[in-house]
Amino acid sequence: MTSTATPVPGRRMLAVNALQKAGLIDHDERMRDVNDKPGGRKGSSKHRSHRPRPIDAYKDAGPSRASMIAARLPGPSTDSISIRGASRPTAVGRMRRNAVSVVTNKPSDASARRITVGVNTLNVWREFVQKRYNADAQFLNLERMLEDESLSKERLYPPGAPGGSAREASVIFKLASQLKPEVRTISLANNNLTGQLLSTMAHYLPNIANLSLENNNIKGFRDLDYISGRKGKLENLQELILVGNPIRDTEYEHGRGDAYKSEIGRRFPSLSVLDREPLAAIGFDAPKQSSSTSAPKLPTSTSFPCEMGPSFITAVDPSIVSTFLARFFHTWDNDRAALLNVYDPSATFSFSANTAIPARARIQGFQHSKEMPNQKKLEWTPWLTRGEGGSRNLSRMAGGVEKMVKSLHVGSEDALKSMMDLPKTKHDVGGAPEKFCLDAWPVGTSLFVCVHGQFTEQPSGGERSFDRSFVLGPSPEASRAKLNGWDVTILSDQLVVRAYSSHEAWKPGPMRVQATGGSSSAQPPISITPQMREQLAAIPEPQRSLVLQISQRTRLTIKFAVECLEGNGWDPERAVANFEQVKGNLAQDAFL
Amino acid sequence: MATLTRNDIEIATRAADHFTRLYYSTYDSPTRVNDLPNFYRPTSTVTWNGNPCEGSDGVKKVMEGMPSTKHEVQSFDCHPIPGSQPPSLLVTVSGNVVHGKGTAGNPVSTPSRSVDGQPRVFAQTFMLVPDPTAPPVKPGEVAKYYIGADAMRFVG
Repeated sequence: MTSTATPVPGRRMLAVNALQKAGLIDHDERMRDVNDKPGGRKGSSKHRSHRPRPIDAYKDAGPSRASMIAARLPGPSTDSISIRGASRPTAVGRMRRNAVSVVTNKPSDASARRITVGVNTLNVWREFVQKRYNADAQFLNLERMLEDESLSKERLYPPGAPGGSAREASVIFKLASQLKPEVRTISLANNNLTGQLLSTMAHYLPNIANLSLENNNIKGFRDLDYISGRKGKLENLQELILVGNPIRDTEYEHGRGDAYKSEIGRRFPSLSVLDREPLAAIGFDAPKQSSSTSAPKLPTSTSFPCEMGPSFITAVDPSIVSTFLARFFHTWDNDRAALLNVYDPSATFSFSANTAIPARARIQGFQHSKEMPNQKKLEWTPWLTRGEGGSRNLSRMAGGVEKMVKSLHVGSEDALKSMMDLPKTKHDVGGAPEKFCLDAWPVGTSLFVCVHGQFTEQPSGGERSFDRSFVLGPSPEASRAKLNGWDVTILSDQLVVRAYSSHEAWKPGPMRVQATGGSSSAQPPISITPQMREQLAAIPEPQRSLVLQISQRTRLTIKFAVECLEGNGWDPERAVANFEQVKGNLAQDAFL
Repeated sequence: MATLTRNDIEIATRAADHFTRLYYSTYDSPTRVNDLPNFYRPTSTVTWNGNPCEGSDGVKKVMEGMPSTKHEVQSFDCHPIPGSQPPSLLVTVSGNVVHGKGTAGNPVSTPSRSVDGQPRVFAQTFMLVPDPTAPPVKPGEVAKYYIGADAMRFVG
């Protein structure tokens, strides 16, 4: 920024004044209800609780669609900066409401929606952030901002200071997101920060690995929702320091240090160091963040790599699996208590409900079909609450670590107690075999079995779909299972219950990614000659599958399919459209 | 046989949460052909809709022919499997997945009641196993796990 740039102090105020003069501010409180009703779909409302909180005012003051995009645009060198949630709630909330509710041709209206920070102010913040950045260590040190003279000299209030707000925090985080190389570590120690002041951090700095919030004012677990990886915020966080915050101090004062660690761990699945102590975690060979810098293209294949295959059982006698499953489901339906025999004494069992409405089943209308008159009588409540601990859907779980532990049933006795409390069912395993699908093979000394199918729930008589995954082991000699005629014993059993979807989903054969144009959908598959195979082998993926697809849809030879795609930027839809235009003029040898 | 402690359950749950986020965000990313096979080993046994593929290379081949995807995990669960230390983990995932451009990629003549392009329901079960040859690299990391077995089906 050059010194000749004219400072525009109070530019935001000017905009507000203009709106007041235009009569567009300070009336119609009712508009708030119209715009902010719960369940209204707006950008930042996804994880908002239904209980209104002061923070919601900030969130609402945040992005319209347009300003979201503006906020994501690169380029720090302009004379103003638009910030997500950077407004004070009252004035801007009104401005936004008016902006959408009042038909106007005043130019000031549009410009006022863009929240601006004056040039001078912004320069001070930018210099401050740059001064605090150690690029070699990728470390942004924002400790003790209240004591920074460069800020106090300009009468700027950092977040956490009296007079400071989430607006300043947003400015800082956005400027931090523009630093090169990317910030990996941030210390915000000793700033009197509340959770709310961190509300925009994950938006601007989603990849930070290490965060110190030491000696701040983070009070409860809810405050961490603003940055929790579990809420989709800081998903790559490896180290977190909360020493010297009420949230940690209170728990330790009450002797709940372990519970505190559990709850933090649950909220940050990627965390491996908490408060300078290792937190037990399991690692994966995850792709490095930096590996995605070369911006490779999204895949373009418009067909699946394989057709839907039938049930797959390998390296194990299929009759062992089918005998087991037939007896298991029959017993589950008719004499569940007798299943105590087939669970290993240390077996694990849990069930979870996926209550989402399946898109294809909804279109197919099973809920209201004459063939399945009882679908409307089905209720989720038993699957959510019963079974001695309820559904163990770990992605939706409220109730914290306690519920997570309680809903996993360890040992055959506990497992059985849970099962006995679940609704009665009828699995028609002796009926149409296509209604069930099975994948099974040995892993180490045990057997890995995945079953998909449907059952009738009692007493409603409605149909549900299920997925069930087992780990089975050979029954030890003289074990309870063996003595009762079970050749295999259950070591682990996970049941997923979901709304009914047709078994057509796993019907063996070709599957479509998208609808195909009218005539070509009726085409039988082309037969691939050795010569064609040779030609195809010379074409790299993903082009190869496009060529094959075009050849299938148009009956063009490989050579002409390639030409057709090349002439249309490798866009298969354009290629087919182009083909339809010119196909009358093509020579016979262009076709298979 | 060792019984499960509360700590085992907590670690397993965190691992499953972390794993499902990483796995599906990698699956849906432009770098997936190179990145997704890293979760597997040459010995992993994998099926995609009943089609077997062997190990990391098999996964890579399948991914090369896969249209773009967008997964939404609606439910997941995880058990530590008693018997080994650290224990293997059985993870089941239920959710939906959109392929290609979804309904937006259908020709304009497609009837509005067509299921083509609509999200499919998928069910995927993983057996995650510790890799004794891979030393933990981070503090707190008890072990490095990989996908020993993986069965995925479209189920709706």
